[in-house]
Amino acid sequence: MTAETSQPKIRIDSPGIRVLRRTFRNRSAQVGFAILLVFILACVGAPLITHADPDAIDPSNTLHVPSRTYPMGTDGIGRDVFARFLYGGRLSLWVGLVAIAIGGLTGTTLGMVSGYFGGWLDASISWVTDILLAFPDILLALAIIAILGPGIVNAMIAVGISFIPSFMRLTRSNVLAVREMSYVEAARALGGSNTEIILTHILPNVMRTLLVLVTLGIGSAILAGAALNFLGLGAQPPTPEWGAMLNAGQKYIRQGWWLTVFPGLGIFFTILAINLIGDAVSDAVAGTVVLSKTK
Amino acid sequence: MTTYLLRRLITSILVLFGVSILVFSIIHLVPGDVVTAILGRQKVSAQEEAQLRQQLGLNDPIPVQYWHYLSKALHGDLGESIRNHVPVSQSIAEQLPSTIALAFSALILALVIGFVLGLTAALKHGSWFDTLAMSLSVSGLSIPTFWLGLLLILLFSVSLKWFPSISTGSSFSALVLPALTLGLPETSVVARMVRASMLDVLGKEYITAARAKGVRESAVILKHALRNALIPVVTFVGLQMAYLLGGSTIVETMFARQGIGRLAVQSISNRDYPMVQGVVLVVAVIYVVMNTITDITYTLLNPTIRLK
Repeated sequence: MTAETSQPKIRIDSPGIRVLRRTFRNRSAQVGFAILLVFILACVGAPLITHADPDAIDPSNTLHVPSRTYPMGTDGIGRDVFARFLYGGRLSLWVGLVAIAIGGLTGTTLGMVSGYFGGWLDASISWVTDILLAFPDILLALAIIAILGPGIVNAMIAVGISFIPSFMRLTRSNVLAVREMSYVEAARALGGSNTEIILTHILPNVMRTLLVLVTLGIGSAILAGAALNFLGLGAQPPTPEWGAMLNAGQKYIRQGWWLTVFPGLGIFFTILAINLIGDAVSDAVAGTVVLSKTK
Repeated sequence: MTTYLLRRLITSILVLFGVSILVFSIIHLVPGDVVTAILGRQKVSAQEEAQLRQQLGLNDPIPVQYWHYLSKALHGDLGESIRNHVPVSQSIAEQLPSTIALAFSALILALVIGFVLGLTAALKHGSWFDTLAMSLSVSGLSIPTFWLGLLLILLFSVSLKWFPSISTGSSFSALVLPALTLGLPETSVVARMVRASMLDVLGKEYITAARAKGVRESAVILKHALRNALIPVVTFVGLQMAYLLGGSTIVETMFARQGIGRLAVQSISNRDYPMVQGVVLVVAVIYVVMNTITDITYTLLNPTIRLK
């Protein structure tokens, strides 16, 4: 046996991989992933699970209690709630993802520019962000809906814009710390362009902390989107969406409990799952994950 | 210290100035012509259309419009509703007390329940109670306000018939379900905050020293630990009161309760832009003022910051 073969192999992973590995090892995150996977598979595979048309009205079968034929009952105009639950979940999840993509991309770009270039650009962007932060979350979204008008796409944009300030702030504070690092100065001394330095040296270092905000943000965005839909300012009838279904179900609260219970459970478990994953990502990023618990 | 306070005040004034620009812009950012958007499919004469344009002040150049808007707003004139022609400030003044009553009740509820849960969980750290309280608090954070409200209606209104599902009037029973809906999720936040803060303070050396000196456990907790653990909670109270004013939108709509949140939603649906602008401006101003007061109070309360 040679000396080389007896030495243990040291595997050096990138910080991103380490965060992912720690997250997957966390038991709460595993539960979160399991719940989320079930929901995603059920919603995406809706046509395979049920053949019922989510918009098909059946006046002879209104407010049918949950049964083998209708696992989640029927609504006030005889539509299959289970089919609407599955198809509606697609839209609820989609609202969260699109909104966070809008808020995340815009906020991160603004934070990068603000933190990296500083000066009047930083002052102006920070001022606009402070103004946006002067509105309680839902109110900012409502103000944007007032401008754009009700509708599901506008709800996604409204929720997305309301997330810009948090992404901008976090990115900016990280960039301020990273831009003074010696490797950034070295890259600058070697003649690297600003775009090159931002994309290759600063962005990767900011990504880890942003990951926490993205994960927890998706949950908050789904919730905010569902709230707008519940208020009747997002998805318009007959489009199924969990928030909109709760809004419609409230009219029949005395006749059909299932109309308010099932869509709410969908939102609750999705947010719970995302919060569990988000907490684990947060622990993993902070590097303080209790490995002994997960081993 | 004085420099900090002065800087904080200037920042808030600049933000308020920006808020006024943003709120003023709402009417100008509407895609297409705002008058066409307001009128929708209504058939009106050219004269009526011109009158509406005049009422909204759209004939002047934009900087002039903004100056008029700002100077009137500073005098409490927020314009007139397009739909019922009532002054916006009058409508807000009528609706605001109801929203404040709701937000205040929710906050008291959150503080009392959250405080008891958080404190007990910290004192019984690692026990079954701690686990239960924290599990409930995670669930509380994940539960959407609008769903919680519906579940409370199902239980207390439909099944037990204890409280009404429509919150009309100013009676106590009409306030219970809306306050629970708005306050229970905040209870989770308070419980987590009090627990974390107490655990942090209980591990400090001066607590160990007080115990070593033979001070009674109740005195250690009440006199030494609690006083310091409450500093972050003070910050929370200020921020949450303002947040709850905004958060009341859903609860008021759900319980058909009077308030500025419901007024905002109705105005958006009616495309009553002056009303939307008025509500958004008032809530944002309250929010900024509360945040500023909270920041200053926190600075004055916290000796480490005060001494700097």
